[in-house]
Amino acid sequence: MKHIRNFSIIAHIDHGKSTLADRLIERCGALTGREMSEQVLDSMDLERERGITIKAQSVALQYHSRDGNTYQLSIIDTPGHVDFSYEVSRSLAACDGALLVVDASQGVEAQSVANCYTAVDEGLEILPVLNKIDLPSANPEEVLQQIEEIIGLETDNALMISAKTGQGIDELLEAIVKHVPAPRGKPEDPLKALIMDSWFDNYLGVVCLVRVFNGQINVGEKIQVMSTGREFQVDQLGMFTPKKTAMKSLETGEVGFVVAGIKDIDGAPVGDTLTHKYAPCAERVPGFKRVQPRVFAGMFPISSEDYESFRDALSKLRLNDASLQYEPENSAALGFGFRCGFLGMLHMEIVQERLEREYGLDLITTAPTVVYEVETTDGEILNISNPASLPPMHEIAEIREPIILGNILVPQSYVGAVIALCEEKRGKQRDMQFVGNQISLTYELPLSEVVLDFFDRLKSASRGFASFDYDLARFQAEDLARLDILINGDRVDALALIVHREHAHRRGRELTDRLRELIPRQMFEVAIQAAVGNHIVARSTVKAMRKNVTAKCYGGDVTRKRKLLEKQKAGKKRMKQVGKVEIPQEAFLSVLQVNNNE
Amino acid sequence: MTAMQTPPLGLYVHLPWCVRKCPYCDFNSHAAPEQLPVETYLAALRADLDRELERAGGRTIASVFIGGGTPSLFPPEAVGRVLDWLAPHLEAGAEITLEANPGTLEQGRFAAFRSAGVNRLSIGVQSFDPARLEALGRIHGPDEARRAVEAAHAAGFTTFNVDLMFALPGQTPAAALQDVAEAVRLGAPHISHYQLTIEPNTVFYSHPPALPDEDTAWAMQQACDEHLRGQGLRRYEVSAWARPGHACRHNLNYWAFGDYLAIGAGAHGKISDAATGTIRRYRKVKVPALYMDRARNGRAEAEAWPLPVAERPLEFLMNALRLEQGFTPELFADRTGMDYTAVASGVAQAVADGLLEDADGRIRTTTTGHAHLDTLLQRFLPETS
Repeated sequence: MKHIRNFSIIAHIDHGKSTLADRLIERCGALTGREMSEQVLDSMDLERERGITIKAQSVALQYHSRDGNTYQLSIIDTPGHVDFSYEVSRSLAACDGALLVVDASQGVEAQSVANCYTAVDEGLEILPVLNKIDLPSANPEEVLQQIEEIIGLETDNALMISAKTGQGIDELLEAIVKHVPAPRGKPEDPLKALIMDSWFDNYLGVVCLVRVFNGQINVGEKIQVMSTGREFQVDQLGMFTPKKTAMKSLETGEVGFVVAGIKDIDGAPVGDTLTHKYAPCAERVPGFKRVQPRVFAGMFPISSEDYESFRDALSKLRLNDASLQYEPENSAALGFGFRCGFLGMLHMEIVQERLEREYGLDLITTAPTVVYEVETTDGEILNISNPASLPPMHEIAEIREPIILGNILVPQSYVGAVIALCEEKRGKQRDMQFVGNQISLTYELPLSEVVLDFFDRLKSASRGFASFDYDLARFQAEDLARLDILINGDRVDALALIVHREHAHRRGRELTDRLRELIPRQMFEVAIQAAVGNHIVARSTVKAMRKNVTAKCYGGDVTRKRKLLEKQKAGKKRMKQVGKVEIPQEAFLSVLQVNNNE
Repeated sequence: MTAMQTPPLGLYVHLPWCVRKCPYCDFNSHAAPEQLPVETYLAALRADLDRELERAGGRTIASVFIGGGTPSLFPPEAVGRVLDWLAPHLEAGAEITLEANPGTLEQGRFAAFRSAGVNRLSIGVQSFDPARLEALGRIHGPDEARRAVEAAHAAGFTTFNVDLMFALPGQTPAAALQDVAEAVRLGAPHISHYQLTIEPNTVFYSHPPALPDEDTAWAMQQACDEHLRGQGLRRYEVSAWARPGHACRHNLNYWAFGDYLAIGAGAHGKISDAATGTIRRYRKVKVPALYMDRARNGRAEAEAWPLPVAERPLEFLMNALRLEQGFTPELFADRTGMDYTAVASGVAQAVADGLLEDADGRIRTTTTGHAHLDTLLQRFLPETS
């Protein structure tokens, strides 16, 4: 156990996390040059394109140190967005140390700050690493100072490397051995292993990535998942070196995978604890949460024939994504689709992109909403995640909206802009404290204001330096109402949203104006109205298109004119026919754009 | 499938040169060299025609359209020779149109064209407004335009067309109306009244001029339509107006999905074979030099392709619905070889939506359907073609 080092790499996008991981793998001789496909860790196309990691992964390496010993190094990858902050915390909980990789010319950025604080919270030893030291623009001294001032880390042990050229990699490996603590744990105690990630494999069922804290786990043993009490038999154990390598057991302190005939992803929730069936441990690894979706949106296939393949695609994505929820939704305007629940906006975008790219679906996504708590006049409590299913106002005693308690850590120079943003988002300050050169702000904010664009706005208000995490605090009664949108007199359920009554006029005006820009001219005039109940609060009109007819068409032109028709028709592919009106996909997300324009 | 009937046959002759290329023109036209290669081109046309006559298999030609380019740049004697070759294959009273520019040189040739056998002119006036003509890059002025129309009368042409465009750069609604009024006043029995559209591969496409907006263009059209109607002309196609008896028979044949042979650089043809129920489209080599070379060796055709059954309804409707008179289900069956049921439900839906009307055995566009024909036609595009 004293020769094990479990650590993760914390880095901002583009600061070289994947390249560094590749270099470490290569230096430890785990893969031949030919086997080294670029950037082993980020395997999904989307992850590579967006430069973010969605699923945690790990690689176990054998390193022959200058001290004559061979060490087992486990690199544990972490996701990098507030939507996935829980997953990050579970990955970090499995580590004993972390490399904070900072681009020597770009300096410290927010994403690394946020994850770094999570790592500090988990009690990890953090080793600052300056990457891209070979670039002419590298400014290591200033960046070291930033690390001390902004994050408050000692930089005496900082390393200077170039993951690209390999410069400083040997020293880094020695430093990992020296500074990252060996795992502590009791081999003689009952098994206690943290599920830091799990995913679905078509052949094996669910594969769990675990860190063994106490005891050991062996092939053939009966184990149980502590939150559910469900029991399984261990079929396979092993590590990724990075090739999948089978083992007979995983010992205290080790990180590896477990295959135990678990049929679905809910059987092995991230953050849960594995123990033996007959000699269970007394308590779980702390910090387990059931992940609840916070943002809900309707997703509808543009072509109704795609409904079944959409259902299949969702069920396949769900195999690997426990935080994705969905249930059938039937919209009068958009037909049959699904109401889907997501961790946040990024998660929603990723799911939509994967559905479109990997499954070839054309989808319309409605404006995302949070879950409101509605108490009816009968005293019944309803959870409303779809504005269209809000009961009539006279049956409602009270609507309560979710309020979060958010923690923001921001350098002093940006605190004014961040406070202004929080106030704009109806936030109430609860606390403000100095933490080194940073300020820690605590705000109560309506979740509905946070889920849309708060994180992006926060980043731009602080030049990327603010970090943010939040927890659901409570539901609070507010004067809320449903704002309906009518197109040529027909209520379009998919465009409805829940707003503060005092904002209804303004939001109605913004929405009808925005829709007028988004809905193209058609053969007839299109009237757009916003209404609360039967009261019209705003209206706008899309004037009729005068004509759409080719002026000249003779014998030789037929082929060309036909291509023109095809092009026009293809342009309508992403439109949904609602009544007689063709509405482009963007219109259903116009609520978001209204927010951006504020 | 029902039996296809052999449709009437036209012939299109393309003469590809102009004095200079206009910035809005996307036709196969080329700036003329100092000396037009008249003899070489005629030899190519001759060889090309021989192949086409074989293709026609003894069918007679009901109309000829000599287009361009600027065909009136060719000497009347050359046009006469082409018409002499055609004479044995023409129906009695065949319509023979020649496109002409209002230049001084061309006007002097009108009488000679008439003697050579041309019996209809199509004069590319475009506008009588000097600023508009300049904006369009035309080489003639308003006086030449007026004199050209007068010359057509003087040369004894009892029918001819005046081409006009509207929604031109900087044009006011009053100016657009004036152009139409002037053409009517000069006694044009046929007016083609086109809205200027910017087409790819033109100078205007890469350097777009400022055009009147959609609402202004619409107002212009309404005013012009009203004037033309008030003066006794009738719109018989989207952009074509004529006094009774002066509709262009050659173009009517295109719009009724008839057949047409094609000779000359870049010319397109369509030919049906009732016996096998097939329709073929084909195109001649486009670049004049290459065409002359190839055609004389019997290889004028650049490509030819069968028109699949699935695409026939759209192509038929693309043409037939341009006509004010619309079409009869019988014509659909005769020309496509398909049963009318192939489009019946689409037509019925469009009738229900107020875009088509189905009355007295004819299917035609309503006012809305007429203005939005392209939107309507999209419904008839074959799936995933």
